[in-house]
Amino acid sequence: MSHAAITSQERRALVKDRARLLLLVGFLLLCVVALANGAMHRSALSRSTQAFVTEKQEALDKWQTRAQAVESGKVKPEDDAWAGLAMDVKLPVSAQPGPLADLSVGVSDHQPTTAEASQWRTVDRLFGNYEYQSPAVLAQGPFDLAFVVIFVLPLVMIVMAFDVLSEDRERGRLGLILAQPVAVGTVVFSRLRVRLGALLGVLVVALVCGLVVGAGGIDVSARIPRFLLWSALACVHFGLWAAIIAWVVSWRRTGEATLLVLVATWALTCLIGPACISAATEAVYPTPSRLQLLSQVRQASSEAYQSRADIVQGMTLDHPELEADQYSLPEFIRTAYIVTQTVDGGVAAPLATFEQVQADRQRFLGVAQYLSPAVLTLQAFNETAGTSLARQRAFERQARQFKRDLAQRIEQHVLTGRRMTVAELDALPRFSFEEASLEQVLGRAAVPLGFLALLAAVFATLAARNLARAGARIDAS
Amino acid sequence: MIAAVLKKELRQYVRDGRVLVLVGVLFGLGVAAALSGWNTVRAMEAERAAASAVDRDVWDNQGQKNPHTAAHFSRYAFRPITNVSVFDPGVNTAVGGAVWLEAHHQDPATLRPIEDAVEIHRFAQLSPAWILQCFAPLLLVLLVFASVAGERERGTLRHMMSTGVRANKLLWGKGLAALIVLSTLAPLLALVLAMVMASGASPLPDAAARGGLLVATYAVYLLVCLFIALAVSARSRRSKTALVVLLGFWALSAVVAPRLANNVGALVHPAPQSAEFWSALNEASSGAFWGTSEEAKKRQEAVRERALAEYGVASVEELPINYDGYMLQASEEFANEVFDEHYGALHDTLMRQRETARYFSLVSPTIAIGNISSALAGSDVAAHHHFTNAAEQFRRDFIRLLNEEMIEHAGKDGYNYQSDNAFWRQTPDFQYTPQTISEVWPRIWPDVLMLALWCLAGLSLATSGVRASFAEEATS
Repeated sequence: MSHAAITSQERRALVKDRARLLLLVGFLLLCVVALANGAMHRSALSRSTQAFVTEKQEALDKWQTRAQAVESGKVKPEDDAWAGLAMDVKLPVSAQPGPLADLSVGVSDHQPTTAEASQWRTVDRLFGNYEYQSPAVLAQGPFDLAFVVIFVLPLVMIVMAFDVLSEDRERGRLGLILAQPVAVGTVVFSRLRVRLGALLGVLVVALVCGLVVGAGGIDVSARIPRFLLWSALACVHFGLWAAIIAWVVSWRRTGEATLLVLVATWALTCLIGPACISAATEAVYPTPSRLQLLSQVRQASSEAYQSRADIVQGMTLDHPELEADQYSLPEFIRTAYIVTQTVDGGVAAPLATFEQVQADRQRFLGVAQYLSPAVLTLQAFNETAGTSLARQRAFERQARQFKRDLAQRIEQHVLTGRRMTVAELDALPRFSFEEASLEQVLGRAAVPLGFLALLAAVFATLAARNLARAGARIDAS
Repeated sequence: MIAAVLKKELRQYVRDGRVLVLVGVLFGLGVAAALSGWNTVRAMEAERAAASAVDRDVWDNQGQKNPHTAAHFSRYAFRPITNVSVFDPGVNTAVGGAVWLEAHHQDPATLRPIEDAVEIHRFAQLSPAWILQCFAPLLLVLLVFASVAGERERGTLRHMMSTGVRANKLLWGKGLAALIVLSTLAPLLALVLAMVMASGASPLPDAAARGGLLVATYAVYLLVCLFIALAVSARSRRSKTALVVLLGFWALSAVVAPRLANNVGALVHPAPQSAEFWSALNEASSGAFWGTSEEAKKRQEAVRERALAEYGVASVEELPINYDGYMLQASEEFANEVFDEHYGALHDTLMRQRETARYFSLVSPTIAIGNISSALAGSDVAAHHHFTNAAEQFRRDFIRLLNEEMIEHAGKDGYNYQSDNAFWRQTPDFQYTPQTISEVWPRIWPDVLMLALWCLAGLSLATSGVRASFAEEATS
């Protein structure tokens, strides 16, 4: 019996096996739901971000029109004292959803992607009023292709392949098969190739559909490099589970025992392991209290308001060029600016502590993730998709820095009450999120990818060795 | 006869090391979950208490300030975490713990723990409820999958039948044995109860009724799992087949379905994106009153006419009150209707999502018990909505109080008028009372009914399955 004959026989058996065909169809349906869900998420997020930027740009245009009218003499300065008000310069800050946010939603479903850089708002409220998502969906997590690949795919693989050897053994056919000139390893790997190959085919179809369906208006070709990396991760994850199944099958236990070991491995790596790693990370590096930060902000804000006169005096002493004595606008404008700046300065240290804890956690997770392939894969998926927590924190950092820079640029206008010209507005920098380059993403995903591939190779080698030994034993008996 | 079957099963379980290992692992996970839940709830409650105290102190000592400026600074309403959250945190991590009660705006609850959580947080959250919902059924599956199919496979079922064992006796004997093994986890309940008491968090009203209902519904849930496992075992010719079917059902029901259900709910009834919602809300509540459009000007004019008619004067200057404060309060009342409309529509969408997700309990009893459990623990979406509604009602009263201060005392000073600490200190604190069991019941009875139906169906399938296997064995 040749490899081709085994493969051909296994294909025929698979086509006739209704239960397994149903499983493949079920898996395909889950992929479809995941892709539709992801595509809708990405599209809605993209549309919403774009609408936000457009709305803020329109407001800025109105600001410009009023300032232009005064500058050109169409409107007398005294008729529109608020035209060109520097405090009212509010610039949009946004990050478009990650290139593959439809395949791997990551943190993009609950973290802010837009902000308004305005000096009317303190830094703690830079991303304010975005918490409208469904708590039930957020608590459960997204049903995206990443979830299907990490959670569902291994289960389907296990059911498809756990009895690849035990079935014949239990039915007393193994001896008959091995009486043919064929190695037991060949039988196992040929069958695995057919059964799991069918599943891989479904996965590849889903991936290709995902590339096109989830693009949401952006150029598909722009997604391809990251998509290839994402697909490589999915395939290596698939390969790892195939190798694990082959390894457990090579123990030549009963079908029941094989199934139990595989499901226990799945529960350990996909449920219990991540839950413990997550709990341990949060226990070792607890998040500083957000409520405490809020209290600090409110205290700082109240104190700044009460001592605003002293602060203005201090500022004018430090900066005599501000000519604050000629200030003619309502006092609350300057007060609001001073309070904002004082609070922003006051909470810089607590915010830095938050960032430090996040960095420590990420470092801890960077090591702990190797204990669970599911954790490793998810983090690499998110990193590749542009939906990781690291990317989100980078966006928030850049947004805060942009707000600080903007404050510095308009400070003289606000404190002196001087109008800002259209040219000065045009000269202000606009926010542009610095996305990680493909090289950087590759660098971050390469080690997990390599580790998963290595692990797969180790298990596959162990399986091949076990099966070779088993063949020898069967031959000898 | 039941006793004999029970004894034989228990002896087998004791001899099977895997069962002992599994029970040990579950026990360890349960202890870790209880401690983790206690630690989280204790910390959250301590933070809330501290933040509430600071908020009051800052408010009381803000010094001289115009009441409307103070209304923009305003106060926060902090959500008390319930002590039963130690057992089932529900959606606690996905909802904000504080609502800013500022003038002109109904803000969403902010400071959601999920935003500070690690990326893998949503893989699985270690909690006693999760262990019971997810792993207790797995333990039952592993205990029971071979109970009837294994006897048939080994040929011992016929032998048992020849000794006079009836189908029902076998069913209850095997079932009770599995339940006795499961009951070795009972000390965990005592530990969880101790952690709930020691958390220092707000106790829920009707604690005894909630506790009783929780125990009863979880007992029914576990019976459902037991009956399904027995039914599948009885209907399968081989124990391996029973195991494949049961593990498949477990994975689908306990792991995939809850996430799938909520996401399909959101797919069918999409909620607006946050930025869009906030923008539309702002325009409809603020822009439509304070803006420069004709409609906004008409609204302002209507308020002026109303004020003049109310006080029987001909011009704003003759009003015996401060007109700025009057306008501010009128704008609040206008905006409140807009908030009710927008937030009402959002809430309706979320409820429709929940109803769609609930249909999945037809294939997953885990969804039904999850809904019941979090509702009784005061940690579901509806409980959060109840809190945000209470906070909003308080905001409206609170802002009215500040506007009335301006209306009655600001006179011609208008925005230059300043109140002092004596006034701030008279203002009330936000007090929140969670829902009673009679308020919770209307939203969980469909889930309780669904669970009861699952139980009856499971029992019926198990009974008929064992009888059928007896009949087959007798005729084969």
